[in-house]
Amino acid sequence: MFETIGRVFREALEAFGQAGSLAAEAGRSVRDLKTWGPNFSQQARALGVNSLPIGILIALFTGVVLALLASYSFTGAVPRYLVGTLVQKTVMMELAPVLTGLALAGRVGANIAAELGTMTVTEQVDALETLGYDPVAYLVVPRILAGVLMFPIVVGAAMFVGLGAGWAASLGLLDMSTSEFLKGARLFFDGFDVRYGLVKSASFGFAVTVLGCTNGLRAKGGAQGVGSSATQAVVQSAVMILVLDAFWAVVWLLGRAA
Amino acid sequence: MKRRSNDWIVGATIIVVMVGIVFSTLFLQQAEFGKKPELMTARFRDVGGVQVGNAVVIRGVVSGRVKQIALAPNDWVLISMEINEGTLMPTDPVVLVQAATLFGEWQAIITSRAAVPVNREVETQLAEADGAPAGALRGAVLPDIAQLTTVAGGIAGNVASVSERVRTAFNDTAARELRRSIRDFSVLSRDLATAVKVQSRNLDSLAATARLSFADVATSANALQRTMARVDSATSQGEVQEILRQSRQASQNLRNATERFESLSRSLVSAEANLRGAIGKADTILARVERGEGSLGLLVNDPSLYRNSDSLLVDLRRLVVDFRSDPKKYINVRIF
Repeated sequence: MFETIGRVFREALEAFGQAGSLAAEAGRSVRDLKTWGPNFSQQARALGVNSLPIGILIALFTGVVLALLASYSFTGAVPRYLVGTLVQKTVMMELAPVLTGLALAGRVGANIAAELGTMTVTEQVDALETLGYDPVAYLVVPRILAGVLMFPIVVGAAMFVGLGAGWAASLGLLDMSTSEFLKGARLFFDGFDVRYGLVKSASFGFAVTVLGCTNGLRAKGGAQGVGSSATQAVVQSAVMILVLDAFWAVVWLLGRAA
Repeated sequence: MKRRSNDWIVGATIIVVMVGIVFSTLFLQQAEFGKKPELMTARFRDVGGVQVGNAVVIRGVVSGRVKQIALAPNDWVLISMEINEGTLMPTDPVVLVQAATLFGEWQAIITSRAAVPVNREVETQLAEADGAPAGALRGAVLPDIAQLTTVAGGIAGNVASVSERVRTAFNDTAARELRRSIRDFSVLSRDLATAVKVQSRNLDSLAATARLSFADVATSANALQRTMARVDSATSQGEVQEILRQSRQASQNLRNATERFESLSRSLVSAEANLRGAIGKADTILARVERGEGSLGLLVNDPSLYRNSDSLLVDLRRLVVDFRSDPKKYINVRIF
């Protein structure tokens, strides 16, 4: 049993070590714009634009559920306009980044790991190297940059839609007025809320794409190895999103409160 | 072509989302474009829980935001506020910071000095801030809701403690005893009132008597005074000798009357003896009459004799009547 635990722990550390190594290598390869530039928009579209529907759908339902939950919780002496406050704070600072990040971890992380894993096991990566391309610059950098740039875009859209869904639910289901909802939403609104959510989602994008690329490039064997690497990428990305969420809360919110 | 399509779509998405985020943020922050806010400064000893971004309120209307909070020399705190352009300030303005909600939200209220709520601490703070530099408003912090609720909580706790003690002390037995005490006190009070009434009447009577006595004393004193005056005049005019002479005469007369009275008494003793003898004889006679002895006894004790006598009297009365009506029948006078 101890051997199993030790092996899992070692493999996890190896994976994160490889991810760090790949991230550092990608950082060096960013200068090779000619290599990754032509692929960037394609990756941005695949990772970001094509992920907008899932992000918006999640935010839509999240906003409605949050408004109803807030109304259910705020009874008695708590004023109803705080429904707006809760929806605004929760959607912008937590739920839109994390839920969208988790959804994209599944979609984007698995996509990247499967794509790069297939290229690895079919030796297309080796072929690129043979042709003189830097596989990191050609495959990894555009994906990481697309993830870092497009995750905040998807999350920003999710914030907007989630707030709108909460407002619509308050009006349609809770008999609140627009002014009531906006009063609550504006009461404690701070530009920091948006910055916090967007920066956090950028870090999620970075983690998801790096872990997807790492697991894809180290895929071994045939289709089974590709599937395994995709699964590993999703699991590690999801865990990393939660870890980063806690990290930002401790580093940024705690520091801000102090 | 494919790459251009990707670029266009990605770029458009990024721009649309960024614009949406920016406008949402500005909308929620209630930012106003095209208006240049006015900057105002106020100085405080303490700013409580005010933070940058809190509302600045004038007569209940949100008219600006707290822009900056900074420490200043001599233990002052300066708050810079952005006030909406064209906002009319109250006369002699001061800035009061206070909690706006129960959830930690604070606000800065700009109001006139005359409208500041009466509070010794606030007055002290405003008085301290009176020497503010030109352009800086005087500021004070109103008691925090948490402080008020803490104080209220303490008071409520004390009241609850007292209530508990009262509840413990004032059980059914105590209530019964209290009721009985009240009843007893009522009776006592009634008795006391009656006693007071009686004593009051007695006092009235006593006072009246005393008044009369005093009047009598006064009269007597007057009489005595007059008597003394007369004595004084009598001793000087020989009336005392006359009085003594008349007294002697009166004494002589009294002695004579006494002698006559003694003689009369002796006569009365003799008359009494005669009367006693007469009564004894009458008693003897009445005893004989009662026994039916003698004529009178027979007359008294024999009913037939009485009836005969009565009949005789009737006949006699009739004879007299007849005699009066026709005397000639009984008297025959002949001269010749």
